[in-house]
Amino acid sequence: MAKAVATVCDMVTSYGCGADLCWKGLFSGITAIRPIERFSTQNMQTSNAATIPGLKINKDETLVMQMLNPLLSKISADIPHDTFVILATTNGEIEFLQRYVYGEENSAKESLPDCLLEKIMLIAGTYGKGMVVSSACASSSIAASMAASMVRNKDHDCVLVVGCDCVSEFVTAGFSSLMALDADKAKPFDKNRQGLSLGEAAGYVLIMSEERAFIEKRTVIGEIAGWGMTNDSNHITGPSRDGSGLYRAILKALKSAGVSGKKIGAISAHGTGTVYNDSMEIKAIKKVFCERALPVYSVKGGIGHTLGAAGLLEIIISFRTLDKQVTPPTVNLCNIDEEAFGWVSPYPQPFESSFTLSTNSGFGGVNSALILKR
Amino acid sequence: MIAVTGIGWVNLKEYGCIIGKYKKSHNGFDSLHSCFMDESIFLYPVKSIKRFDIISRTTCYSVALALKDAGISYSHDHKKNIGILGANEEGCLESNINYYKDYIDCGRIKARGNLFIYTLPSTPLAEAAIHFGLSGPLLHMSFKEKRISFLLNFAGKSIIEEEVSATVAVKAEKSNAVSFVLEKKEDLLNTRDLALENVIAAAEKTSFDEMIEALEEFCEDKADLS
Repeated sequence: MAKAVATVCDMVTSYGCGADLCWKGLFSGITAIRPIERFSTQNMQTSNAATIPGLKINKDETLVMQMLNPLLSKISADIPHDTFVILATTNGEIEFLQRYVYGEENSAKESLPDCLLEKIMLIAGTYGKGMVVSSACASSSIAASMAASMVRNKDHDCVLVVGCDCVSEFVTAGFSSLMALDADKAKPFDKNRQGLSLGEAAGYVLIMSEERAFIEKRTVIGEIAGWGMTNDSNHITGPSRDGSGLYRAILKALKSAGVSGKKIGAISAHGTGTVYNDSMEIKAIKKVFCERALPVYSVKGGIGHTLGAAGLLEIIISFRTLDKQVTPPTVNLCNIDEEAFGWVSPYPQPFESSFTLSTNSGFGGVNSALILKR
Repeated sequence: MIAVTGIGWVNLKEYGCIIGKYKKSHNGFDSLHSCFMDESIFLYPVKSIKRFDIISRTTCYSVALALKDAGISYSHDHKKNIGILGANEEGCLESNINYYKDYIDCGRIKARGNLFIYTLPSTPLAEAAIHFGLSGPLLHMSFKEKRISFLLNFAGKSIIEEEVSATVAVKAEKSNAVSFVLEKKEDLLNTRDLALENVIAAAEKTSFDEMIEALEEFCEDKADLS
């Protein structure tokens, strides 16, 4: 079996352009969730989201293309032409659909993620093999799992995974209707958490076989060593309360990586800040790792819940934690929930290990777990 | 090896099971729930089916038929490690429009959560997973080339990689849907089971009706040979 390694990656988040800025932002402990300026939030549950400064709605370029264009143009020369592209998104270029409903466009079809995939392949300069993956908020971690699986099984030896989503009226009104948003700012694993904060971001990871990376003299950032995917098959918007679905996904991922839970040094949790998600995650984690309290963190107090991009950004941050052997603080965490006490922290947590775990869950009960190795 | 053990389909006029050679007419999708209850194709009522968008309905109908064709019983309370993968032409475009148009028409006061939940292409698969108790991997895929072979090949690989006992591959549109049950088998000695590569070859047709016809013919030919 071929090893799937990450060779190039980057992101743009509400902290700014580049993984460095996101890392520094998280370590500053200051949230990048801020007032929404691009549409009225008068009737919404919150007026805050982790928006990217300078990103504005305009007819020439959609919000996700404003994120993706500079990000991918910078590295297009490093992307081999035979790369298979996987796009993970929940809404893609949703402005086309919004404009269609306003009567400003003749068709909403350009909002389909397939059209966005075409544009991405054009910027990346690939031959045109690709697919879109949609699995709610676990979309990009599942896309990364699929990429790693393709490499491991030698279907492809180079796969570019791209994740993106923007803060739109479409999505904010929807989450607001479900009463899933924190009126102020998301506080993952906090006793007083009330919901999530939406965020926008784009990111990419180029995944290659170890062999090809070696031949092309690529710098290896880390390995996607194992993965597991499950479904709660329980409720359309809420997770299984006991975390049993995520628990099974973590066990599958450990088995796929061929490592025991004892090897895991830290955990990047989905940690949305909703009452039920955070509780079920801690239950699942405790069930796998028993009472061996590991450093657990969530980035969503800093950069919000970036939906289809979330898992991919968390992989990139996880590789950085493996490199530095320290987790970022969980931003906005003031009063640690009793269940999470001893696991999460508002401060950076050092660890010593070559493996971390990254988890994501989403609507429809989807769960994803990834084992990452330095 | 990967075998196809059940194929269920539904269109605006008929529904059926390919391997079991079963076909019936119906009076429209609205009548199908009670019809499926009467025939024990649904073993218990689908909760909140009236709330479902149209693709969630066609997904549930075709998955029920495919599981029946495969002889797999199901229960929401006893979940099975079966995955569900889906693909279709336009994802959830129509549901996206319905949700956002409703929000705008209502003066942007409050969006409807019951419409918003269908603005993910994976939601119809999730509705089916909840009803049938399928707890394996769930995802919606969209390939550049809209060929069913990509979906079926991918579903086959997911069984080997994920070590799920079976995967249901669904191609659901608003006017028709087809679902395939894929299982790992030691051999194809059971004459009912079909080799995945043969099903892919038969299913690779441009129209839905042609595909169903080709699958039916393939099953007839296989029966004659055995």
